[in-house]
Formats: sequence, structure tokens, C-alpha cells
Amino acid sequence: MTLFIGFFIGCAFGAILFLGGASSYRRIMGTLLLKDMWIIKLMMTAIGVGTLGVYLLDFGGLANLSIKPVYIGGVAIGGVIFGIGWAVSGYCPGTCVVGSAEGKGDAIFTLIGGLVGVMIFALAFPYLESALIEPLNFGKVTLESLLGISGIYIAIPFSALLLFMAFFVLKDRYE
Amino acid sequence: MQEQKAIISWKVAGIALGVLLTIATALVKPLGVSTQFVVSDAAVVHQVAPAFAEANAYLAKYGEKESWGVGYGWMLVIGMLAGGGITARIFRKAQPDADKGSMPEMWVGVFGSSRVKRFATAFFGGVLLLFGARLAGGCTSGHMISGISQLAVSSFIFGIFTFGAAIVMAHILYRKRG
Repeated sequence: MTLFIGFFIGCAFGAILFLGGASSYRRIMGTLLLKDMWIIKLMMTAIGVGTLGVYLLDFGGLANLSIKPVYIGGVAIGGVIFGIGWAVSGYCPGTCVVGSAEGKGDAIFTLIGGLVGVMIFALAFPYLESALIEPLNFGKVTLESLLGISGIYIAIPFSALLLFMAFFVLKDRYE
Repeated sequence: MQEQKAIISWKVAGIALGVLLTIATALVKPLGVSTQFVVSDAAVVHQVAPAFAEANAYLAKYGEKESWGVGYGWMLVIGMLAGGGITARIFRKAQPDADKGSMPEMWVGVFGSSRVKRFATAFFGGVLLLFGARLAGGCTSGHMISGISQLAVSSFIFGIFTFGAAIVMAHILYRKRG
């Protein structure tokens, strides 16, 4: 059953990314060049709605959260390497899957590169684990646990801020 | 070229994605993609070179021999291929021309029309992308969208460093155009 749910959620995810133009090189690069705010507004809206939804569920005890641990070295350096790869290929792991489904050759090569990147990571893992993953590891920290107040009270103003930014503040600047 | 919109607006897509994330969190767990690259690799390596897969501390954790590690997350990515592929076929005519094809106009404008160059760059970018994602523990969907929605501190850090590096790199690549 869980497999079917996964498949259908994936279908919707893929469809939304395609229909919303998220698998588009010009949109992604336009965002990273700070000219086209489309993708960032899409993401802010998704996170704004998502934060509220997730913490409303959590408030009702219905959320299956999956918090990633904080290990500062690996998360920061991994983030930088990821960011460079994002700008170089023009896709992220999710949008390269959708781009590949659209038949875009550059997305397919990004996908193949990704599978190779994982193998390189697996080979380097023993060294990386001791250097960047185990040190400075603070476990699964959220703003809720950090601030010691119920997540919903952080989620409401945070969501409001993101949605306000996306709908009223961020403006494209082409010319 | 920027005048062309997508098929649905960022508002509709953003709200739909937020609702989808909420549904996923209620039913199973939040969205994530990059782990499934590991599951896929590990499933193949477990078949082709089982001794190597079990000796490797990272691959040993994923893609179990019996089940191939095919679970919710992997089906989600297969769903993305299906959902993205099907909607792409149905809405091909509605998709802005600037969003189509393997050779983006702005890339060609600066780097030329060599397919080999574009594909080699995309491949190299893909290597960095997944290496970085696995080191950090997630990607745009798992870390940024799902992670920040759960108010995870790790994901805020990832978001800041990723966007910082990506913005700098994009400006280096397209510096000729200003």
C-alpha cells in the first residue's frame, strides 16, 4: 500500500514540477542570476504552505516527521558542492528526473552523472564520515527543540512571512 | 523570452506542492529524491558485485539484496518519471518553447551549440549535485522543501550554503552577459 501511495505522490510531484516550469533551465538559471523570481517564489509558497500543513498535522499528532541531523561540516560543504553542481547542470536531483521524463538530453546526463556521483561518494564515505559527518554532529535539531516552544507558534509567523515575501515583495527584474 | 509563462503559475504550483508535502507527511513521510540515487546504485551493485556492496559502509545500508531497497521513496521517484513524462506528453503544446529541448537558448548564447559540451557539463554538474547532496544528507526536495517545512536547523544551513554557492557559480558562468 505504501508503495502505491509513494507512486501516486510521485506522479503528482512530477506533474507539478513540470507544469510549474520548475524543470526549465532558463527558469532555474534566471533565479540563480537573481533576475527571474519564479522558482524562488514557487519554493517559498511551497514551504510556506508546507510548514503550516506539517505543523498543523504535528499539532494534531498526525505528522510523520523526518528531521535530518545537523553536522555542520558535511551539511555546509555538501551544500556548497551541491550549489555549484546546481548552477553547472541547471537541474537539481528532482528536476533532472522530471527533465529526463520530458526527454531532455541534458537532464538525462545530469541523472547519469548523479548516479556516478553517488558511487564516488560511497567510495569516499569512510573518510568523509570521520572528517565531516561525525564531528560537530548535533543530531536532529529543529527550531521547535531549539527554542523550546511548540512548533505551530513558529510555523504560523514563518509561513506568513514566506507567503508575504513570495506574493508581495519579490519582483522580477528583467529589464 | 522571459514573457512566456509556464503552464500553471508559481502560485498554483507552490500551493499544490505545499499541500502534497502535507499529504505525504500525514500518510507516510515527507518528500525526498536524492536518497533514491543511492538505492538505485546500491541495488545494481548488490546484484553485480555483492561482496563489494557489503564491504562498502555506505552501499551496505541501502538496496538490500532481497527487497532491492525498493520502498516508498523509490516508488515516489518512479512516480515522478511517470507523472512528469505523462503531463509532458499531454501538455507539450502548452509548454513555452523556451522551456523545451536539451539545448537551452541562454546556454547556446554564451557557450555555443555543441551538444557534447552541454551534455558533458550537465554530467559533471550531476556528479557534483549528488555527491554534495549525499554529503549534506538531502537535496532541494528533501532538505530545502521538506526540511525547512519541518523547521529543521540542518535544512536552513543547507539552504543558505546551497543558494549562496549556486548564485555565485551562476554569475561566474554567465559573467559575459552581466
